[in-house]
Amino acid sequence: MSKYLSLSLQEIHELLKNKKITPKDLVMECFDNIEKSNLNAFINVYKDYALSEASKLEELEVDDDLLFGIPIAIKDNIMVKDMKCTCASKMLDNFVSIYDAGCIDEIKRHHMIIVGKTNMDEFAMGSTSETSYYGAPHNPWNYDKVSGGSSGGSAVAVSSGIIPLALGSDTGGSVRQPSSFTGIVGMKPTYGRVSRYGLVAFASSLDQVGVMSRNVYENALLLKAISKEDKRDLTSFETNDDITCLINKPLTNFKVAIPKYFISDIVDKEIRDKILEIKTMLETNHVTVDFVDIKYIDKTAILYQIIAMGEASSNLARFDGIKYGYSYLNPKDLEDLYKKTRRYGFGSEVKRRIMVGSYLLSGENAKIYYNKALQIRDDLSKEFQKVFDNYNLIIGPTTARCAYNLNTNLDDPLKSFMDDILVMHANMGGFPSLSMPVGFNSEHLPIGLQIIGNRMDEKTIYQLASFIEKEIKDDFSEVRNGI
Amino acid sequence: MLTKEEVLHVAHLARIEVTDEEIEKYQKDLKILLDEVDKIRSIEDFDDDKMFSPTDNQYDLKRESVIVDKEQILSNVPKKMGNFVEVPVMINE
Amino acid sequence: MEYKKTVGIEVHCELKTKEKIFSPSISNYGSIANTNANVIDMAYPGTLPLLNKEVLSFAIKACHVLNLNITKDMHFDRKNYFYPDNPKNFQITQNETPIGTEGYVEIEIDGIKKKIEILEMHIEEDTCKSVHSDKYSLLDYNRAGVPLIEIVTKPCLNSGEEAVKYLEKLRELLLYAGVSDCKIEEGSMRCDTNVSISKTNKLGTKIEVKNIGSISNVGEAINYEAKRQEELLEKGEVLKEETRRFDDKTKTTILMRVKETGNDYRYFPEPDIPFVHLTDAFIEEAINDLKRMPDERRKDYEKAGVLPINIEKIIANKEISDYLENFLDTNLVIASNLLLGDIQSYLNKNSKTINETKLTNKKFHDLVNKLDKKEINNKIFKDILIDIMETDQDIDDILKDKGLNISFDENLLNDIIANVINNNQKIIDDYQNGNPRSAKALMGLIMKEGKGKIDPAMANQKLMEKLNNL
Repeated sequence: MSKYLSLSLQEIHELLKNKKITPKDLVMECFDNIEKSNLNAFINVYKDYALSEASKLEELEVDDDLLFGIPIAIKDNIMVKDMKCTCASKMLDNFVSIYDAGCIDEIKRHHMIIVGKTNMDEFAMGSTSETSYYGAPHNPWNYDKVSGGSSGGSAVAVSSGIIPLALGSDTGGSVRQPSSFTGIVGMKPTYGRVSRYGLVAFASSLDQVGVMSRNVYENALLLKAISKEDKRDLTSFETNDDITCLINKPLTNFKVAIPKYFISDIVDKEIRDKILEIKTMLETNHVTVDFVDIKYIDKTAILYQIIAMGEASSNLARFDGIKYGYSYLNPKDLEDLYKKTRRYGFGSEVKRRIMVGSYLLSGENAKIYYNKALQIRDDLSKEFQKVFDNYNLIIGPTTARCAYNLNTNLDDPLKSFMDDILVMHANMGGFPSLSMPVGFNSEHLPIGLQIIGNRMDEKTIYQLASFIEKEIKDDFSEVRNGI
Repeated sequence: MLTKEEVLHVAHLARIEVTDEEIEKYQKDLKILLDEVDKIRSIEDFDDDKMFSPTDNQYDLKRESVIVDKEQILSNVPKKMGNFVEVPVMINE
Repeated sequence: MEYKKTVGIEVHCELKTKEKIFSPSISNYGSIANTNANVIDMAYPGTLPLLNKEVLSFAIKACHVLNLNITKDMHFDRKNYFYPDNPKNFQITQNETPIGTEGYVEIEIDGIKKKIEILEMHIEEDTCKSVHSDKYSLLDYNRAGVPLIEIVTKPCLNSGEEAVKYLEKLRELLLYAGVSDCKIEEGSMRCDTNVSISKTNKLGTKIEVKNIGSISNVGEAINYEAKRQEELLEKGEVLKEETRRFDDKTKTTILMRVKETGNDYRYFPEPDIPFVHLTDAFIEEAINDLKRMPDERRKDYEKAGVLPINIEKIIANKEISDYLENFLDTNLVIASNLLLGDIQSYLNKNSKTINETKLTNKKFHDLVNKLDKKEINNKIFKDILIDIMETDQDIDDILKDKGLNISFDENLLNDIIANVINNNQKIIDDYQNGNPRSAKALMGLIMKEGKGKIDPAMANQKLMEKLNNL
């Protein structure tokens, strides 16, 4: 089988344009990869659909769009018409979407070819993708390690070379953390840059569709393609900025902040050292790097839990066995239909979060917890903004540790929150944040660097990321050939 | 720690059936999580009356209408009767 | 000592906006089940609520006519509860910031005026319509997401009669504000009431009576309920908070359920809808769009001398009253008599509205003025009614065609006659020579020149005068 998909998008584009290959070749190669892979990256794949889309593209002139004809994988909580959308839950095992998400409209408009829906934590709740009804995906760097989550399937599909691009979603790190664990580039854009219409809601005020790729430039290209105001999402906004415009531009008068909390002893020493190495490298290149204190930065996990579980308990109330999805057969009565459908339809992590969220909003609790969390969150955002008044970007590790063994502490209710302790701030403040691989630990597992920018300032993130990418000598593509 | 009754109340609010063993497990799990989120009480008090929007932008009074999908709207319904969605008899009315 | 009744009333009204509140489905009564439902109305995963700004505009109008303060900075909240008619299992409503607060409606009973105080008015979405058998219930999502306003009075009413007056007035105001059709029988207006009785200033146990099918039944329900409570208290029984319904056949209230203590709705601000700031310009635009309210119209009708009974008949028929707004410069007694009498009968008989007939504003204006100036009488009007309503002809043409009253333009006639006389000296000579047919010949020429616009008798008389004076 040919290996076109491992080429850069520019190279693939040249081949397509010169009619050396067709989109169908790419799709065939992609499905060959999927069939050979044992990493459980996908929940459902659509070969016939993809091939038929590829044939349709053959009738079209290849335009200047580098994304033309490129296969893409979509996290299974994003609606693609006529494909199942399971959210990795028994609750939606049989659910077929009847509409396209806002970002899928853009994917289709750019003539990309959707090959399937990727594995994830059930309803995006988790940090390892192990809460999936369909079993956990495996980390291509080490089969026994977790992929991270919740967008684990998308991360695995890209990192293992099955496909060059994937969409994920990020409520508290769900794009960046698995990207870090698998050595790829993952971006959670500014809240509102990408439409949430058609993204199954977990925590509405935090959710954002994110992009996952092998390198920085392709990441920016994909994000640019799906950035669009969508009148069907009142929180989306108009974007006309070219987020790729600063890629590979020199870093002049560049200032970067590292929050002290991000290199405190909650982070593995190997990871801390790697971040400090990056700091030195940047300073050598005349970038100012300062350590800063940010108020509330260590309280974010608490705010996150309250807001995310509170909103989730309400968002997931719609799964009741009446309109769609799993429905308990022959219930005694209405209450029985509700309670048994939700008992058997949801997995334990989802139920636990719904329970806690319901409690946090019940009676007087909403005032004590949720409203207060919103207030402190507002303050936290202002604290971050103050940093952006003086610095171009904030950097730090994406995760406090590298990918760990599957089935570790599965039952610990706090575990997944602690895995995301460094990435939640961006969701809280609606800031764009990217993770990129910058090295390996002693187990040869990737280490991710996180870059957080001010709202709407994705372009500066890509500027720094493209610079660092060139400076890093490690090769993160080695597992791509192992399929 | 939540009492069994409190766990049952929450389970009822969430419409999730729980077994006796699950009640005990929820008591433990919820305690761990609630102990964590309870730390919010220690953060200094804010102006109670001020409401914050969960999102940052403001509703645009000039916003125009859009089209939203409505084809095959009943295609995923577990139980249908004609054009209606069927449910066990609603007792509350 | 007598028991004093204390009554509070909650009214839900559907706003007749083109689209639903949080989705662009059309909002209309009586369509085939689940045909006005889209992915938002069915609470499909991944969908988000929109916000129809027309709803905000309608709610502002309602606030204005109910004398409510408008909350400029407002937002929506989620009210979480499971029920099959609540597709998301949360309802989007306004808990913290109702759009209107502290207003009133003025009623009059036996010449005494009273302000019924309104605590608040908020915006929310309607539920699915459901029909029930003993084995299952069926859901129709067409109604899910239709905009509602809920108007809550303070517990400041003291009788069923006051409640009836309040509801009639409320209905009239909302109808004239053009925000709701307020049809109780179609469910676009729904009334719930809280009734308690007490001999002291401390309020008694509050009992809710829900979903009462007509305004007059609200009055009956309150009076029945107060009497029922009184009898129980006199027997020494203790009342419990409960929800009852009114049974139209027996004119009694029937227990539905004992109130659950502390409904736990887990309200929190709706994260998918940004907070709303109503600008002064937006509010002004909505209010400026309001037509004149009934009390103002009553004053005009009264001043014009319309009989009180007719005034109320006009106000009760908004279509007629709105129509009359175009003719305030005419004789309103005549205009209203026409509209309430023959025109109304015609419309009823033909099941039409005025807009569906050929009665233009100009025609109605002419008609009223002709009757006013006695250029035509009532009998003539009746003769031409069908022509007025069903042809494009204006009134003069109709009258002329029917030969009922031909317009008389003396100058035109004089000109024509002079012309004919001056240009036909030969015929004049004949006439003067005693040829009797000459006069007929001249008349023929005059009528030809007049092209049917002149009255032959009048022309003949004038011609003879002229000839004899030559």
